[in-house]
Amino acid sequence: MQIKLREIKKSFKVYKRPEGKWGLLKGAFMRNVTEVEALGGIGFDIAEGELVGYIGPNGAGKSTSVKVMSGILTPDSGECTILGKIPWKNRVEHVSKIGVVFGQRSQLWWDVPVADSFDVLKDIYAIPPGDYKIRLAELTATLGVEALLRIPVRQLSLGQRMRCELVAALLHRPKILFLDEPTIGLDAVSKLALRNFLKEENRKQGVTMLLTTHDMDDIEALCERVMVIGHGKLLYDGKLAGLQEKYAPEVVMKVNTDAMIAAMYNDLALT
Amino acid sequence: MDFKNTCRASLSLFRIRMAEGLQYRVSAISGTVVGVFWALLECVLFTVFYTYSEHGSWNNNGMSLPQTISYVWIAQGLFVLQTMSIDGEIMGKINNGDVGIELCRPMNLYTHWFVKSSAGKLGTSWIRSVATVLVGLLMPAAYALGAPASFAGLLCFLLSVIMAFVLCSSFAMLVTTVRLNVTWGDGPSHMLLLLSGILSGTYLPLRLWPDFMQTFLYLQPFGGFADIPAQLYIGSMPPSAALPAIGLQCIWSTLFIAAGRLIMNRKLKNIIVQGG
Repeated sequence: MQIKLREIKKSFKVYKRPEGKWGLLKGAFMRNVTEVEALGGIGFDIAEGELVGYIGPNGAGKSTSVKVMSGILTPDSGECTILGKIPWKNRVEHVSKIGVVFGQRSQLWWDVPVADSFDVLKDIYAIPPGDYKIRLAELTATLGVEALLRIPVRQLSLGQRMRCELVAALLHRPKILFLDEPTIGLDAVSKLALRNFLKEENRKQGVTMLLTTHDMDDIEALCERVMVIGHGKLLYDGKLAGLQEKYAPEVVMKVNTDAMIAAMYNDLALT
Repeated sequence: MDFKNTCRASLSLFRIRMAEGLQYRVSAISGTVVGVFWALLECVLFTVFYTYSEHGSWNNNGMSLPQTISYVWIAQGLFVLQTMSIDGEIMGKINNGDVGIELCRPMNLYTHWFVKSSAGKLGTSWIRSVATVLVGLLMPAAYALGAPASFAGLLCFLLSVIMAFVLCSSFAMLVTTVRLNVTWGDGPSHMLLLLSGILSGTYLPLRLWPDFMQTFLYLQPFGGFADIPAQLYIGSMPPSAALPAIGLQCIWSTLFIAAGRLIMNRKLKNIIVQGG
């Protein structure tokens, strides 16, 4: 198993302001500290080359567990080995083998052309120059971002930037890719392009992917296996079809709205 | 990751940060104006003090008026090395949780940020520095930046400026690591920065402080920001005293770096990554 989590627990301190008329003032001197459990002993296995959907309501602990797996957070207790290593103990070595895409954050340098950011990443990940050229050409061609390379990041649209973020995350040929809401805020055409790309990348390069999203069409289009998490615990792990049988047995057919809208955009030559 | 790769990555980060900084040219111009304004204000003030002091007592404090005026210009030129606030980009990352992304890079976070913040400081500030010093040289004689005391003094000055850059950067990183305590807010780091600014001699040359404080002022770390280079330039510190003074800058830099790394490693164990 490439990713292995056992009984991972993590809780955070939350500072609350006292209630009432003088709460604001009181809060300046004494704070009510409460412990909030983000992960309550979660565990699962993911094999190489799998594309797993990771869903659950806001605050369920999805992002926290992704942060634990990418070595950013140290859990309070529990075991986790990824590619045979403990992420937070061998952080530098661990992160050179994974890629991350956070839909709400950017890993590109805001004020300089995209290509400059890629060059820096090349040096940070110590990618050999020859391999870098091949990989960059390959990724920019499939994602259609060759024309954007000389434009400063701040002037890209969200869809364009997201595609560049993906290039940035995959330049160093990571074995595992964590995607945290990669399609958030994207239009239908960009979403479909992104999905197709992820599917291809998973199939061709065998990259293991863990996809966190609230867009169920993403999950439906990409993931064979879904994991549902709530209150920091794993509630369901299996096929998406299994969920449908249980919770929506009468639904027979559904229009793929994204595909419909994308077709309209294309028809009107908007993209 | 081995040493060579770290160096290459650092160089690359340095370059991109400089390129980013260079986009904001207007800030360099406005910075120069502020620097020149301050320097002139201080020149006038010191001239008044030196000229009208009782029994000319100001002239016996180890620095003559022309030396003090040169000191003021050098200190203003070096002012850009000092951190007035934590690097904007890094501050943003701490506050909005992008520290997470930084931690996903196969690089020691301390090294990574050290390079970033020092490059961020150099981005436009060398233009400001050079411009301020140039204006100082072109001033009318009474307010002008004088020639260095000696050639050896100039060499020691340059060496000391390089060390001042390292020292300022390592102190800035120490303050940054303190700021990693998100819930503490800006208070502690601002107090540290203010203290360092006062003790660096930028506002009042350290030689002009009371005599009983001189030993302390020489040994404390912040004199290395501006006072030591400036004194080497104007000759109130002879080149023979340069070695221990620059050595002092080295020792404090090492201590700041060690402390910064220690604090950062401890903080990273229970770091708070803000936002979802």
